[in-house]
Amino acid sequence: MLTSNVATIALGICLAGTAWRISRWFLSDIGPESDGLSTGRRLAAAGRALLGALIHPRFWQRSKIFLWEIVLQGHLLQQDRLRWAMHMAMCYGVLLLVLLHALDDWTAPVFFADYYPTLNPFRWLRNFFAFLVLAGVLGTAIRHRRHIRFKRIRSNADRLILLLLAVIIVSGIVLESAQILSASVFEEMVEDYMGDDDPDEVAALQHYWATEMGAALPVPAGERTADAAAGQTAHEAYCAACHSRPQTAFLSYPISRFLKPVAGMMDALRIDNWLWTLHYLVSCLALACLPFSKFFHLLATPLNLLARAAGPVSDSPRAFRASRRALGLDACTHCGVCTEHCSVAPFYRVIPNPAILPSEKLSGVQRLAAARAPAAEMALLSDGSFTCTLCGRCTRWCPSGIDLQDLWQASRRDLIQKGFPPFYERAAAITPSATRAPESTVSGHPPLSLGLTDRPETFWACVQCTTCTSVCPVVAASDDPHRDLDLTPQQIMNLMRLQLKEQAFGCRMLWDCVTCYQCQEHCPQNVKVADVLYELRNEACRRAIRSPQAIAAGSS
Amino acid sequence: MTTVCPEIECDLLVIGTGMAGMATALFAAQRGIDTVQVGMTGELNFASGLLDLLGMHPVAKAQIWSDPWDGIAQLIHDQPDHPYARIGVDTIREAMQAFINFLNSSTLPYRCHPHQNAQVITPVGTLKTTYARPESMAWIDRALIDRPPCLLVDFPGLKGFSARQIKAVLHDRWPDLRTARLPFPGLTGELQTERMARRLETPTARAQLANAIRPQLGDARAVGLPAILGIARTQQVFTELQQALDVPVFEIPTMLPAVTGLRLRECFERQLPQMGVRARYQQKILPTPSLASDCFILQAGGETPEAQVRARAIVLASGRFFGQGLHADRHAIRETIFDLPVHQPADRSQWHRKELFHDEGHPIHQAGLRIDAHFRPVDAQGRCVYPNLFAAGSILAHQDWIRQKCGSGLAIASAYAAVQACQAVLGQPPQAATA
Repeated sequence: MLTSNVATIALGICLAGTAWRISRWFLSDIGPESDGLSTGRRLAAAGRALLGALIHPRFWQRSKIFLWEIVLQGHLLQQDRLRWAMHMAMCYGVLLLVLLHALDDWTAPVFFADYYPTLNPFRWLRNFFAFLVLAGVLGTAIRHRRHIRFKRIRSNADRLILLLLAVIIVSGIVLESAQILSASVFEEMVEDYMGDDDPDEVAALQHYWATEMGAALPVPAGERTADAAAGQTAHEAYCAACHSRPQTAFLSYPISRFLKPVAGMMDALRIDNWLWTLHYLVSCLALACLPFSKFFHLLATPLNLLARAAGPVSDSPRAFRASRRALGLDACTHCGVCTEHCSVAPFYRVIPNPAILPSEKLSGVQRLAAARAPAAEMALLSDGSFTCTLCGRCTRWCPSGIDLQDLWQASRRDLIQKGFPPFYERAAAITPSATRAPESTVSGHPPLSLGLTDRPETFWACVQCTTCTSVCPVVAASDDPHRDLDLTPQQIMNLMRLQLKEQAFGCRMLWDCVTCYQCQEHCPQNVKVADVLYELRNEACRRAIRSPQAIAAGSS
Repeated sequence: MTTVCPEIECDLLVIGTGMAGMATALFAAQRGIDTVQVGMTGELNFASGLLDLLGMHPVAKAQIWSDPWDGIAQLIHDQPDHPYARIGVDTIREAMQAFINFLNSSTLPYRCHPHQNAQVITPVGTLKTTYARPESMAWIDRALIDRPPCLLVDFPGLKGFSARQIKAVLHDRWPDLRTARLPFPGLTGELQTERMARRLETPTARAQLANAIRPQLGDARAVGLPAILGIARTQQVFTELQQALDVPVFEIPTMLPAVTGLRLRECFERQLPQMGVRARYQQKILPTPSLASDCFILQAGGETPEAQVRARAIVLASGRFFGQGLHADRHAIRETIFDLPVHQPADRSQWHRKELFHDEGHPIHQAGLRIDAHFRPVDAQGRCVYPNLFAAGSILAHQDWIRQKCGSGLAIASAYAAVQACQAVLGQPPQAATA
């Protein structure tokens, strides 16, 4: 007794002394920095420093990104609230069903010792999650119908998975309905869980289950009210520990009422067993197919968002870049938001090359990366890729956080290497004696030409005063315009005057023009310089750009 | 599609942003007249920056005057229809004084001898007679008397300027000229004077240029460069280069594209709005103007109307053919905005003589708007067309400014006279000009 008291006193003194020594860390003044600082501030600063030493500062940033982007999908919320709501419903509905229902044998006992699937809150939750998934899918389907962009971009693998998902959910709901109704299941349960075979007790229980628990059981004729109370007692003794009232299954229960008229036939065929088998097997099928469909984004998108937290692809170590691009490709869900915001998407209305649209271009890049793109497809992909202006809007809007701009730059380089350079390089190869490409490039639209370049009135006022060249910002940005641009604007006008316009097609000034219209606005002779450059570009494209039909016809 | 145009009211609308248009707006602003100015890129961009008063009269005898005022007096006597005769020597003197004072108070100082023309070297090596020239070109005049050894510098890639050619042409007149060809710091390939001038507005490029020139100096007592010493900060570039090289530096005007006209244009475009002129640059008058009570109503804009202007008086300084104030087609010469009567040869076949360099020039150059004593355009019978429409500049008839070497004087003096006449119509007493 004495010894333990002494030890306690000694410990007390030691702790107090330690506290006193530690307090002096925040009270003593060494150096000029702590002049005028309160003790509270010094304590706070020390706390921060300690945390900073133990945990890397980026940890907080990454945690915040994890929480905001991956768990709460906050970047989707900022873009479109309705889409966020649909996606959260579907995403968490499916995830929680998998976690709490499919894997209930492993997850539930961790938290609940007396878990049984027909207990609440699990029964209700199961129905609720299924409802979430259905609501999300339905809402998404309605939005898809109303937005034209989605009509362009559907694939069969994605349709299959959606079908499987629908089968799983619906079969699960109907399975529960069948089980609520099934007389055979009741009998099996009675055999397994009731201790004795007292027929009165069984009858009372049956009565209870027929009236209160929704089972499609024959109610024995001429019942005495004592049976009702006895039924309840029996239920509480044998069943209630594992069975909540089925009315809480707000999806399955109403359906079971609806199916009650045919319950007898269903039970005779043991529909409930068939449904269970279907539900189970299709779930396994969906699991197996998951990595081969777009739902692989369940894994790829969070990883991609985390990778993005570290910075753009160009900041990643060289050896990691290709892998990160591949990860990005797999994170694509084909949602089409990039196409919706693409600056050059309107070109698709005139040039029917799907590779102009970023969501389609990405599929092409996926095939290019897998070396599964034939030459014809690479040609179309090249034309679409070089129409892109790298403005970066797709990258900003992509909900999966894919660094699309980097992907386009990388795939462009690959395409050049494989022999599919930008189309204006093909334009440079056109000489006046070359035959024209087939006229089928621009189907159904009038030629985009004001007819300026063929009319002498356009140029005959030009006196080569070089005002257009001196106001051109593209010329001003170059140290040596002839090295970088081949010709200056007034020299291109001179070619027009000499009726040598084909020679302008290949010069880089034509393609680097940013259409600022300074030249046209400042020309003292009202020569339409910028409009002429526009027309020359359209003419060169008409002659040099490939159409899908032309490629199919095998022309070069 | 109807567009809503803001409506602007003013006392005076100046149509034109050339030498005459800018001078008109300047004099009007100095007199406190509420002025709107409208104009497009035109002839001022291509000016040499030299202000000619009178160089040659009579043109047929190629007589050059060393005292321009004597020349003007003779001209007025010989050609009473010439605009100078309408203006009068005293007013011409006042106008030039006011104009040069303005330039001196801005960032573009000019020099002149009050009673003597000066001489400037041209890019082909000849000598040109002019009245007032930028400070950066002033040194040559005195040098032509002493003819000290002088270094001329040119740059590979700058077309139309060869120091060796200048030296060869001036050889008899000025034996001790040396030449050097130096790469221009920071630019390669074909050079344009505007880019070179803007580059020299940075201290780094100036230092590099000075360092390149210095080893070539030897005992030369001055350095001649093409006109590339800056655009907005010519004085600063010019002074610093002189300090760096420790000898006088002078500029020689270049062929087009040249910055000398651009300097004047940018100077005016900066200063005039600060003086209260409501400037609408890079806009033109769109068809068709109309008259309501005693005001003109016109639409100004680019391709489409951007403003509707209601003006009590107009000074038309829209230039000649290049500035699109006059338009010549296969039949006649027309004035392009108001379709005013244009004095011209009876038939197109009489527009030109068969020799391009005929001593007396070509009759088409004498065509233009005839004016009354108040500088208002008149018809063939001498009746004023509109009482509140005035004209100034090269659009006037009975002058051949290229051959007579009187372009700037004509523009500035006629602008001055037009503003004076306009003040009477606007009902304001003539005020002393506020500088």
